Amino acid sequence: MSRQPVTIALLTAAIALMGACGSDNGPNASRSIEMQSGDDQTGAVGEELAPLVVRVLDANDAPEANVEVTWAVVSGGGSIIPTTVLTDGGGLASATFTLGPDAGNQQARASAAEADGSPVSFHATAMAGPATQMMKSGGDGQTGIAGSPLAQPYSAVIRDAFDNPVAGVEVAWAVTSGGGSVSSPTSTSDAAGIARVTHTLGAAAGPQTVTATVEGLTGSPLTFSSNASVGIRLVTTVGVTANYGLHDTFVRDGLAFLCAWNTGILIYDVGNGFKGGSPSNPQFVSSVVTGGGKVHNAWWYHSPLGAKKYLFVGEEGPGSIGGTSSGDIHLVDVSNLSSPVEVGSYHLSGAGTHNFWVDEVNQVLFAAYYNGGVVALDISGSLPANLATRELDRIQPGGAGNTYVWGVMQHQGAVYAMDMVSGFWKLGFSGGSFAIAGGGNNVPERYGSDLWLHGSHAYTGTWGFRAAQGNAVKVWQVGAGAPVLVDSVITELIGTVSDVQVTDDGQLLVFSAENGANAGLHVYSLADPAHPTYLAKYLVSTGLHTATISVIDGKTYVFGARNPSSPALMIFDISSLLP
Amino acid sequence: MAGQATVAGTWVSRVPHGGSLTEVRVVRPMLMGRGSLFGGRLRGVASLDGEGWTIPNGELTVGAWGEGFVDRRHPHTYFHELMVSGLERIGGPEGRVQVSLSAGKGFVAFGSDDPMNRVTFRYPVNHHWSQILERAVLIGGVAAGAVMVEGSLFNGDEPEEPGQWPNMDRFGDSWAARLTLMPVRGLEVAGSYAKVHSPEHREGAGLNDYKVHAMARWDGMAAGHPLYAMVEWARVEEGEGAFVYHTMLAEGAYEIGPTRLYYQLERTERPEEERVLDTKWRTIRPHLDNSTLGTTRWTINTVGAGREIHAEGWPIQVRPFVEASFARATKVGAGVFDPEVWYKGTDFWSVSAGVTLAFGPHALDHRMGRYGVAEQADHPHAGEMEGMHE
Repeated sequence: MSRQPVTIALLTAAIALMGACGSDNGPNASRSIEMQSGDDQTGAVGEELAPLVVRVLDANDAPEANVEVTWAVVSGGGSIIPTTVLTDGGGLASATFTLGPDAGNQQARASAAEADGSPVSFHATAMAGPATQMMKSGGDGQTGIAGSPLAQPYSAVIRDAFDNPVAGVEVAWAVTSGGGSVSSPTSTSDAAGIARVTHTLGAAAGPQTVTATVEGLTGSPLTFSSNASVGIRLVTTVGVTANYGLHDTFVRDGLAFLCAWNTGILIYDVGNGFKGGSPSNPQFVSSVVTGGGKVHNAWWYHSPLGAKKYLFVGEEGPGSIGGTSSGDIHLVDVSNLSSPVEVGSYHLSGAGTHNFWVDEVNQVLFAAYYNGGVVALDISGSLPANLATRELDRIQPGGAGNTYVWGVMQHQGAVYAMDMVSGFWKLGFSGGSFAIAGGGNNVPERYGSDLWLHGSHAYTGTWGFRAAQGNAVKVWQVGAGAPVLVDSVITELIGTVSDVQVTDDGQLLVFSAENGANAGLHVYSLADPAHPTYLAKYLVSTGLHTATISVIDGKTYVFGARNPSSPALMIFDISSLLP
Repeated sequence: MAGQATVAGTWVSRVPHGGSLTEVRVVRPMLMGRGSLFGGRLRGVASLDGEGWTIPNGELTVGAWGEGFVDRRHPHTYFHELMVSGLERIGGPEGRVQVSLSAGKGFVAFGSDDPMNRVTFRYPVNHHWSQILERAVLIGGVAAGAVMVEGSLFNGDEPEEPGQWPNMDRFGDSWAARLTLMPVRGLEVAGSYAKVHSPEHREGAGLNDYKVHAMARWDGMAAGHPLYAMVEWARVEEGEGAFVYHTMLAEGAYEIGPTRLYYQLERTERPEEERVLDTKWRTIRPHLDNSTLGTTRWTINTVGAGREIHAEGWPIQVRPFVEASFARATKVGAGVFDPEVWYKGTDFWSVSAGVTLAFGPHALDHRMGRYGVAEQADHPHAGEMEGMHE
């Protein structure tokens, strides 16, 4: 009990001491300082703000004169004048704050000795100053496909005298060499001070330039340079149900007819205007599943009188390559593109159809019919439901047991057929009857596939494995008499050349390839039509089954059918490869 | 629990594009579990298969094909079987009629037994004609005396890789029925029919298979020694008659003490499809169309011998074996595929030698792929003898 008074005394002393040492500006301060004006101002970097003002009060809250107030910049790199000043009779002290060079928040403070509330902080917002300079920000020095947009936009950054980005500045863009275009003649700098434009390269290979201009700025005009090379550009991809997938595409008048097996015919606007589609943005129009599905190929027939009513559709049924086949020709009325409907068919017992060619002037459909050879149908006028009544003639070029025709094409008055087994044939067709005109049994080491003819030459593909792999495109001289083999273009690491076509101007040979590391799209120059020279390829790991050329709005596109497991229509721009 | 694995070397005298090939592989690494509850009225079976790890590129096997492999037998899926069956005897314990319902992933009640546990090491060419395996399947069975009827509903798609499960969106698009007669003990005569929708195209765009199968099987004694014999015939029609394939197989095994002698004769037709360029052992998948390159018929004689080594008190069974096959491939009907061109010859020799290690009950003679009343017919006391009890 005798220790209790001592303990109480110590506690009392400690509490008193704590109170005395708690703060310089605590309850014992003799004066106070407070903000009078000048806080939260906004100005451009480097700009002098309205004075910052504080007031000092004595212990009785009366203005106190002759108290030294110290001013200092806390952040932003600006300046403040004066750095010390005595309060006037009203207890006021002021200073001039000039914003520093960094856009954003800046801060200054005022302090007075032994004053409650000291220091007093002033906040200001510094905005970028007037644009004074511009420089490149990105996109310079790219290499792209001639005639195609570059992968990255050009960008220029606009800055003030202190290198702060300046928003809202309009930049003028102009192509200065190469003949391409820019996505917009002007663009405006964003919050990061960046203005962008996309450069679509001109058609010619080589360096091409674009300038960015803002009058009066240091660095203006900027010159962006890129290099245009020739090549294949993937424009877009349209997925198709894996059912099995896409086999062929017929393109005409800006409409693409996708032959998508059991999903049927899918019609897309790729530049027709019907649905506002384009090659880069195909728009679905409609679809139809023909009898039996297995839609393999199509031909939209335009009659000499201008009718565009009929779409011929090939059905590829099961068969043993080289021996048996099945599948009919289906006739679809596409008068109403939004609602196509099957109205007829042609059946050939014991054989199935493959690729078509239509002599639209004379209104004859030539259909490759595998082991059935080649069939000619009269397609003039209004067609009946059963097209068997329109059969004109048929022929097995290699004879029974030696015929399996993949494709047929009319050229310079003759009909040419590529037979997988018996090779390349020239047929005559006169008075509704076929006759052998020459050729045949001329590709013994390989199985044949597709064909195309242009001028005095023909190009035929090869398929699978015979004594050699189907990795060749055969080049033939055609004219009077039988075709004469003049060259054979070999592509390593492919198993099949599945489709062949030449551009209408005869400048490019295009073929699709399957099964192997070089599967995809291949393009050759026909500067010497007898000896194609390699130009470019676009690899597709699962292979392309077909490649269809179409010119839309002056550009040359290839519509490729990508094989499963992710079947799709792939649209390529090959314009840059044209000489 | 039971398990097995075989280490074997196989030499084949002729492979694609000519030349011979020898390989040593671990095949059929299996772990099997069986169990039952409620006095055998609820049964489960699980078979795990590690071939996806040991033979991801298949097993060198003359004439084999299926699931995208050709001239090599494909690896099975990791979950080879995962089935549950409920059995009930109508009319009480003495009732003559027994019914079952089985569900899970496993074999469809169709055709003959899985070759994995039959007589030859070499898988027969007709594996995909005479069995329908690794499907999500629901099987109803009724057995009354010597007659058994089974009906199956399942997904038509076959596996494309070891880790793949059945496409459940397609469950029920295919069906099968099997009638089995057991007139005397040891003799079994069965007929099956199945419609399999698009087995080779997982999304369902492929051709349908219509399969007919008949078999007779004897498993008993002859001259005091175990004798097994089986003959089967099957016909498969694809694409509404576009393709028709046949198979006939006869096999037998005779055991004298620990030594087993066996023989198999097979004559099976198989489709020939376009092969992947850089392997020659695989066909292009997924399919792009419904065509084939033609048909070949494989006539194969296989003879072999094995010996059972099971030391007293040692939990592992050891069965070394050696077998030889002579095969001839011939072109059947139309099509561009010519075995003479592809293999640079049509006669094939194959020799395999190896050893199978196994543990657990019925590891080497379990008739894989039989559930419900079919399993009950094989092991009438299964619920009383094995696994967990109520």
